[in-house]
Amino acid sequence: MKRYLVRSLVLVLLALSVGALVRAQEFPVETRTLKNGMKVLVQPDHSIPNVSLYIFYRIGSRNERPGTTGISHFFEHMMFNGAKKYGPGELDRVMEANGGSNNAYTARDVTVYQDWFPRSALELIFDIEADRIQYLSFAPDKIASERGVVASERRTSIDANNFGTLDEQLWATAFIAHPYQWPVIGWMSDIEQWTIDDLKRQFAMGYSPSNATMVVVGDVTSEEIFALAQKYLEPIPSHAPPPPVTTAEPEQTGERRLVVHKFAQLPILMIGYHVPQTNSKDYYALEILRTIISSGESSRLYQRLVDKDQTALDVEVDVSPALDPTLLVVTAQPKQDVDPQKVEKAVYEEMERIKTAGVTDRELEKAKNIELARFYHEMQTINARANTIGTYEVFFGDYHKLFEAAKNYAAVTKEDVQRAARTYFGEKNRTAATLVPESEEKDKR
Amino acid sequence: MQQADGENSVWHGSRPSLWARTAACAAIAFGLWAQSASAAALHLPSHEKKTLKNGLTVLLLEKHNVPMVSFYLVVKAGSAEDPANEAGLASVTAGLLRKGTKLRTAQQFAADLDYIGGEFDADAGQDFSMATAEFLSKDLNRGIELFSDALLHPVFPQEEVDKLLRQALDGVKAEKDEAQSVLGAYYDAYLFGNHPYGRPVDGDENSLARIKREAIVKFYETHYAPGNAILAVAGDFSAPDMEKRLEEALGPWAGRPTPAPAIPAASQVKGKRMLLVDKPDATQTFFAIGNVGVTRNDPDRAAIRVVNTIFGGRFTSMLNEELRVKSGLTYGAWSGFSSLKEPGSFGMYSFTRNETTVKAIDMALQVLDELHKKGVNEEQLTSAKSYLKGQFPPTMETSGQLARLIAANEFYGLDDSEVNDFEGRVDAVTPEVARRVIEKRFPLDNLVFALIGKAADIRTSVQKYATQLDTTDIAAPGFWPPVPKAPKD
Repeated sequence: MKRYLVRSLVLVLLALSVGALVRAQEFPVETRTLKNGMKVLVQPDHSIPNVSLYIFYRIGSRNERPGTTGISHFFEHMMFNGAKKYGPGELDRVMEANGGSNNAYTARDVTVYQDWFPRSALELIFDIEADRIQYLSFAPDKIASERGVVASERRTSIDANNFGTLDEQLWATAFIAHPYQWPVIGWMSDIEQWTIDDLKRQFAMGYSPSNATMVVVGDVTSEEIFALAQKYLEPIPSHAPPPPVTTAEPEQTGERRLVVHKFAQLPILMIGYHVPQTNSKDYYALEILRTIISSGESSRLYQRLVDKDQTALDVEVDVSPALDPTLLVVTAQPKQDVDPQKVEKAVYEEMERIKTAGVTDRELEKAKNIELARFYHEMQTINARANTIGTYEVFFGDYHKLFEAAKNYAAVTKEDVQRAARTYFGEKNRTAATLVPESEEKDKR
Repeated sequence: MQQADGENSVWHGSRPSLWARTAACAAIAFGLWAQSASAAALHLPSHEKKTLKNGLTVLLLEKHNVPMVSFYLVVKAGSAEDPANEAGLASVTAGLLRKGTKLRTAQQFAADLDYIGGEFDADAGQDFSMATAEFLSKDLNRGIELFSDALLHPVFPQEEVDKLLRQALDGVKAEKDEAQSVLGAYYDAYLFGNHPYGRPVDGDENSLARIKREAIVKFYETHYAPGNAILAVAGDFSAPDMEKRLEEALGPWAGRPTPAPAIPAASQVKGKRMLLVDKPDATQTFFAIGNVGVTRNDPDRAAIRVVNTIFGGRFTSMLNEELRVKSGLTYGAWSGFSSLKEPGSFGMYSFTRNETTVKAIDMALQVLDELHKKGVNEEQLTSAKSYLKGQFPPTMETSGQLARLIAANEFYGLDDSEVNDFEGRVDAVTPEVARRVIEKRFPLDNLVFALIGKAADIRTSVQKYATQLDTTDIAAPGFWPPVPKAPKD
C-alpha cells in the first residue's frame, strides 16, 4: 500500500530512534578534540571507496530574533558562495570536478554541512572547509541572487505545499515565547530584509570551531583524519559560542486551535503536543509510544483512521531532534469532504484508550523489533551513519548514547508507555490545526 | 534521503523543520537513471542466476555487512499494460497483494509483518510492477513466508478493493494539491498522448472509479506468473540455502503462459505545444520542457549521461548555473531522461515566481540553444566524468539498492558490464561523441511544454512559446485530456 503523506528529509534523523538491541553492531568511533575546541569523530569503513563528512554547527533558528528569522538558513546558503581561496562558484565547481557533491541543512537547533566524495578528494575537502570557516566573503551580488533562491525555496515548500503552510502555523501557535515559534526558513518579510550585517553577525556568533562537531565516516583512517584536521582546522582560532537560549516556553494551560483556509481539494489535520527535549529521560518511552501509534499498517492510528473508519488517507507522527522542549506532531490527511473534526475526535479516542488501558505486551515487543530493524536499515550507508553519529553527539551530548539505545529501549515497560501517554497527550497540552480547503483563491490583500 | 523507489519516481517536498540547500535527492530520483554508472575500482558483487522449476528467474547476491535481507521482485507488466480507460490497474493490483490472502486478512498481514519489523511494498512502474521487502536475517523464515503469501495467494477481498480504490482516488486529489508532485503526470500525459507511457501510473479520478474487482483479478491472473517474473534477493544469507528456501516457498507458484508486452515506440512530437494547468493559488510556475527521449539500453547511454550531467544533472550544471546560481530565479533547475524499455521522456525542469516565468523559460531555452551551438568542451567532460564516477559507489551500497539494480538489469536485458565497464564507457566520451548525442538526443526545435501555475497571471505571456496552447484546471478530473478517452477496440 502506498503511503500518501509526504516523506521527508527527517527520515535520516529517524535513526535517532534506533537501538542496537540484540546483536549490537559495533562502530569503532574514534574521537579527538582539537586545541581550538572542535571535536572530530571518525568511523572508518572501507566497503566503498567513498567518504561522508558532516560538520554540525550548534546554531539554528533557535538562536535567532524577530526581524531576522531564517538568517541561519540563509547563512547556510551563503556558505557556498565564496571565501578566500575558493571564490564564488569555485567550491561547487572544484568539488564536483573531483567527484564530490555537497549539501547542507538547517534545523531549529543546528546547521549541518555535508560532503560526499571519493577518498581521492579527502584533502581537498579539508582545504575547502577550512577556507569557508575562516574567510567567508559576503559579496553583495551573491547576497541578492541567493535571496531570490531562498524566496523560491519558501514559495515551493510553504506556498506550494499545504503541509508546509499548516505546519508553520502550528508551531507559531503552539509556542508563544520560545524561538521554536518561527519557521526555520524565516518569514517572507524577513527574507526580503536581511542585511549583510545580519549575515556577518550570524557568522561571528555561530561559526567558532568550538561550536562545531565534525563526523567522518568511510574509506579513511582515523590517523589521517586527525592529521588533516590538525593541519587545516586546528589553527583556526576560537571565539565565544552563541549566547545560551534562556527563554523557556511557559507551560500550556489550555487547548489552542487554528484554522487555515487554502486552495485545496483535501483538508489536513495536525495536532501538536509539547514534549521534552531529545536528551530527556522520557525520550525512549515516547519513541516506543510513537512507534506503537504510527509505525506500519498495524499501528493504532493507521488501523483506526485509514483502515477501520476510512476517514483519512494517511497518518504519521513525527518528532525531530531538539535541544529544547519541542512538539510531537500527529499529521493526518482527512479524505475529501470528511470533516477534519471527525478524524480529530478519533485520534483523541485512540490516545484515551492507551491512557486508560495501556498497550499490550505484543505491541511493546513489536515496537522494539521495529526499532531494531530501523537501526540496521539506517546503518547500511556511510551517509546515514555520519548523520546519526553526529545527531547523537549533538542532541544527546554523547555519541555513545547510540550504543546504549539498546538497553534504554529494552528497559521501557508498558507502564512507561502508558505514563508517557498520560503525561503528554492531554487536552491542555495540545494545539490542533486544520487546513480547510477553498475552491477558489480569495484576495488576501 | 528519499524513498522514491521503483520506476515511477515522484518528487517529494521536504518537511518544514529542516531546510536543505538543494532538494538534490528529489532531482536525482526524477531526473536520472535509477540504475547507473560505476567507478573502475568498483565491481558489482558476484551474484548467481538460477531458474526455479516453475520458470521463475532468481538472482542471489550475498552481502553480509548488515543482518538484513532485501527482496526485489519484478513482474513484467506495468502501467503500460493497463487498459486504456483503466489507468492505475497495475498499481492497484500490486497494492492489493498484501490486503488479504488465503492465509491472512489485510490486518493479520500487517500485524505479522510489523511484528518482525519487516517492510513489504508493492507498486507499479511504467514497464513493470514490483514487490519489495526487507527483513532482519534472523526472521528470514517468517519473511519469506509473508512475501510468498502476498505474491502467491492474494484473494482481493471486495471490501479491501473498495477501500484501496477510494484511497487511491483521494490520493490523486491530494497529489494535485501540490503542483510539483503532479507535474510529471501532466507532462507525460501531454507528451505521450494515447501512448501507454502517457497514462498516469497511479490512475486518475475517472479511471480509478471505473476499475472493478474482476479487472484486478484478471490482471493478476494474466501477468503474475513465475515465467513472467524476476526475483532478486540480496543480503545476509547463503545462496545455496536461499535457493532451497525459495524453491520451497515459491515452487508452488504455478507456471502459466503470459502475453508478451508489446509497447510501441513513441515518436518525437513535432512542433511546439504547451499544456497550461491552472492552479489559481500558485505563487510560482512549475514547468517541464522537452520531448520523447531514449530507451534504457540506448547504445549511447553513457554519453547521454555524461552530457546530461553537464547540461542539467548536477549543481554546477548549465541549467542550474544560469537559473539559480547566477540569477536567483529559482531554488533549482535540472534535466533528465526517464529511460524505459521504449523511449521515455526527456525534460528540463524548474520553477519560478509568477512574474519571472517568462524570464526563466527564456533562459532555459537559451541554455538548451547554447548546448547545441557550443557543444561541450574537454574541461566540462573531464569534470562530469569525474563526478559520475565519484558519486557512483554510494548508489550500490545497500542490499536494497543492489537487489533493485540486478533485477532491473535483468529486466532490461543489460548485464554486469553496466557497472563493471562503466568507467571505460564514460571515459570514451569525446567532444565529438557528445556533439553527436546532443544533436540526436537533445531536442531543440520540437518542444512540449507543461506548466502548472496561475493561468490568470501567466497565460498571455507564455503563449509565445507554442503554436498550440491547451489549458486545464488542476481540480478537473484526469490529467490530459480532461475528458476520459474512449477505450480502444
